[in-house]
Amino acid sequence: MSKPNPLIGANLPRLDGPAKVTGQTVYTDDLKLPGMLHGVLLRSPHAHARIKRIDTSRAKALPGVKDVVVGEDTPKINFGNWRLVANTQDELALAVDKVRFVGDEVAAVCALDRDTAERACALIDVEYELLEPIYDVSESCSGNAPIIHEPFPDNVSLKREISYGDVDGGFDRAHYVREDRFTVQAVNHAYLEPCSSLAAPDEGGRVTLWTSTQVPYIVQCLLARTLGLPENHVRVIKPAVGGGFGGKMELRPWDFCAAFMALRLGRPVKFTLSRSDELAYGRRRHPMTMRSKIGFNKEGIITAKEFDVLLDGGGYNAMGPTAAFLCGNFGAMLYRYPAYRYLGRHIYTNKPPAAAMRGFGAPQALWVSENQMNYAAEELGIDPIELRLRNAMESGDVIPQVAKVSSCGFKESLQKAREMSNWDAQRASKRPGYGVGIGCFSFITGGVFNWFNTKYNFSACEVRLFEDGTAHLLTMAADIGQGSDSVLRQILAAELGIGVDKIRLTAGDTAITPKADLGTWGSRVTFMMGNAVIDAVRKLKEMLIPVLFGQFDLNQIHDIGFADDRVFVKARPSRGMPLAECAYKALRARRGEPLTAFGSYTPRNKGLVTPAFSFGAQVAEVEVDEETGLVDVKKLYTAHDCGVPINPMSVEGQLEGSIQMALGYTLCEQLHMDSDGKTLNTSFLDYKIPAAQDMPKSESAHVLTYEPDGPFGAKEAGEGMVSPTAPAVAHAVRDAVGVCCKDLPITPEKVLAGLGKLDFEDTP
Amino acid sequence: MSPMPRFSYHQPTTVDEALALLTQYGAAAKLIAGGTEVLPKLRSGALAPEQLISTRRIVGLEALDFDPASGLRIGGGARLSDVAACPEVQLHYPALASACQQMCTTQIRNMATVSGNLVNGSPCADTAPPLLVYGASVHLVRQGPDGSKLTERRVDLEAMFQGPGQVCVEPEELLLAIEVPPPAGRCASAYVRHSARSRVDLVSSSAAAWLSLDASGHVAQARIALGSVAPTPLRCPDGEAVLVGKQPDHALLVQAAQQAAAMAKPISDVRASQAYRRAVLPVLTRRALEACVARLQAGGSQQQGASQ
Repeated sequence: MSKPNPLIGANLPRLDGPAKVTGQTVYTDDLKLPGMLHGVLLRSPHAHARIKRIDTSRAKALPGVKDVVVGEDTPKINFGNWRLVANTQDELALAVDKVRFVGDEVAAVCALDRDTAERACALIDVEYELLEPIYDVSESCSGNAPIIHEPFPDNVSLKREISYGDVDGGFDRAHYVREDRFTVQAVNHAYLEPCSSLAAPDEGGRVTLWTSTQVPYIVQCLLARTLGLPENHVRVIKPAVGGGFGGKMELRPWDFCAAFMALRLGRPVKFTLSRSDELAYGRRRHPMTMRSKIGFNKEGIITAKEFDVLLDGGGYNAMGPTAAFLCGNFGAMLYRYPAYRYLGRHIYTNKPPAAAMRGFGAPQALWVSENQMNYAAEELGIDPIELRLRNAMESGDVIPQVAKVSSCGFKESLQKAREMSNWDAQRASKRPGYGVGIGCFSFITGGVFNWFNTKYNFSACEVRLFEDGTAHLLTMAADIGQGSDSVLRQILAAELGIGVDKIRLTAGDTAITPKADLGTWGSRVTFMMGNAVIDAVRKLKEMLIPVLFGQFDLNQIHDIGFADDRVFVKARPSRGMPLAECAYKALRARRGEPLTAFGSYTPRNKGLVTPAFSFGAQVAEVEVDEETGLVDVKKLYTAHDCGVPINPMSVEGQLEGSIQMALGYTLCEQLHMDSDGKTLNTSFLDYKIPAAQDMPKSESAHVLTYEPDGPFGAKEAGEGMVSPTAPAVAHAVRDAVGVCCKDLPITPEKVLAGLGKLDFEDTP
Repeated sequence: MSPMPRFSYHQPTTVDEALALLTQYGAAAKLIAGGTEVLPKLRSGALAPEQLISTRRIVGLEALDFDPASGLRIGGGARLSDVAACPEVQLHYPALASACQQMCTTQIRNMATVSGNLVNGSPCADTAPPLLVYGASVHLVRQGPDGSKLTERRVDLEAMFQGPGQVCVEPEELLLAIEVPPPAGRCASAYVRHSARSRVDLVSSSAAAWLSLDASGHVAQARIALGSVAPTPLRCPDGEAVLVGKQPDHALLVQAAQQAAAMAKPISDVRASQAYRRAVLPVLTRRALEACVARLQAGGSQQQGASQ
């Protein structure tokens, strides 16, 4: 192979960094248009009720109010991300007959200022007939619970089954079988920027929507459909976005209401949610109740696994069907399961809907499998890392009904984590109150599934090259803070041999950037859009290469290199010219036809789930205060395989963010609800995300693999790393004080209860 | 989110001006210092004053004075960060310094005042338990009947707290200063706080202790105060009585801590359950007492105490 590309693996600083840290970045709520109105949503105060009557007359009469809209005023077209399965599309922007959770959107008001809109909301008179609410997921699907959506009388909106191998025989042959029940709680994404959308009418009955989203293309399609407009009448622009983590990957009621009202009134309308809206009514990670049975033979080799999951979906499907699907896949990852049976049921309850959140099914499924691996290791008398090594997946393994694992650095990650953490010595020396534990992860690199049913390539872009040697990348990819704008430029620069500063970027505008990109989710952007960028650049190169062959009278056996803003003969690098000159000459030769190329990527022949998997292992060191039950995570050691890291500094950022998010999931984040379905902790005062001061020390190592299908060998690094922390900490807590916690979060109360020092009762 | 209430904003520069405004508007007015309590309440609709009177431009209100004979005087405008960084506070009132160093966040400590933390009347005010064990009082002033002279009164801090969010400060009154008695003899103090998130958080329970020893090493005086476990910050004479006249050994501290904690009336809320608060209170109290004893045994300067 030729010498490594200097831009791959380079810690280039983020291009959006300076503007963000100096407060210059423009987010949706910063946008102000002439004549803009301010919208506010009226939400249901009841968890389950029938709407009998809505009287908006007093609200409409308030001076300054420009419009009040209820469900009956709208086209009443259902939406949902699974376009391929119509009966999963169970949501309306504004409720028509029923409300299904506290916070369900019932009406929208817009006025000259926000305060007036708020006051008008309070003047809308809604008469409800209260229905019996159901909050418990097991009761909800028990067969005699109130029905939340009429077409689903058992409240099961979707069932997903996976089955392969001889499961029953596997258990029969097993030397050791255990079965456990686990629960995990809902957590909020806690992105820094609450949702916001601004719509403005455009000529000819068209509309433009600026919105804080991860999926401009999906919003465009669903918004057009719910408005009853052709797709091309809707332009969605994604300004800078302050985080999404899965919480911003659907069409949301405020997107619809802003656009609908802007079209009705001929004036721009903006909606911005508050933090308390986000915590009380926002999307969240699925709470799950999970039962898992696993068998091992005498040598510690897995013989079979059975995994049953109830997903607490809340009042609507949101992204729940995908969670039910993926959770089953993650339940069979990491290890070689010769026989596996999964039943995932997505259940409606009268709570705010759960949706995608970083890891999307993996934090829950791996909480189960990693805990059971640790329990089994103890009872089989095998070191937990050794037990994993005996069962670990390897490159080339085939996961039935999923895919072949094209690259896998799991064993190397385990070995590396063992070394870094001084595992063997730490396990051997017991200090009171101190413990170590391990958790592992695997994650997908984008999805192959196409429930959205796009007709376009999964990722597409256009690259233009100019006579001054600069380029323009146009892509629908949505940078929501993860840094894709920077990484895609880095990939383009590496492939074309120019500096990142030479690249103009236009991103996330559905009217300008090529169709399509499915959005920022599933750790897909670097991989899929990265491949599309490389595809486009290679096509551009084909337009440039003939210039050199003509200029230097080259034998056709020669290959042409692109580096340092030059184009040259690889075998004789002195023969070449600046890229700018080459572009100029190519333009002349093409008689003015612009140097522009479209690139695309769609995973093909990659099974049904994902084209590539990441792997990793994490060791946690904790100290537990046996008198207060407080768990202090002292240090985390992470060894992981994300293929070739294109920008290691960005990967490190993903790890830090994953640790912060995972610590909250593990130790302190939970939403408290009263008996009427109302969320009680609706500010960061009482919804406890870890702060900077709570971050443990962290040490990490990249286990280098080369993913053959990835851009420059890269695969995912954005989500997988959020999964191992909870089981690693739980294992370490067990090691420290002997308390085994199967239900997240591991609160001081649960630890003290486990130590027999308190009768645990759920806080309200 | 509710609409922001409409109000007039005043920025008096002298105490007299401020008191005149308070007299004029009475219950329609609300004082605002750092704004870290008032602003969220305005935004949430919990407060809707017609007049908002800022204390931030009142000259001299932020003063922080220590005198070995008269003690510490914390001006009504003194910020948490000022108190946390004050060498005399760190030396003589370490439990207070510790509370001011640990509570909330750097940004909030740079805005919020000690007086605001107290008059907010929250049972979980971090500065309350330390100031209670130091025997602090508040110096309140209002406009006199003839409008020219001040009427002043001093109230024991313990008496000021009347219930959750309730303090005996009249709408016309301004908290001019918090007065803390001088350190006495061989004494030490400590503050221990506990929260679910471990660092940046409101306390779910807290304990402050103050001990002085006589020449023979017996406890001469003891004070214990608890936070977040009753309708108001709580002094615990039952626990204090256990200690007085005795050698402060481990068993005694355990017993005192249990007696003190038994006075608490914790509730269950989203921050902690009642059972949990009951379980950790004796632990926190004992740890505060242990920290005092350790500090006393370490010798050190006479007034020094332990800071946790």
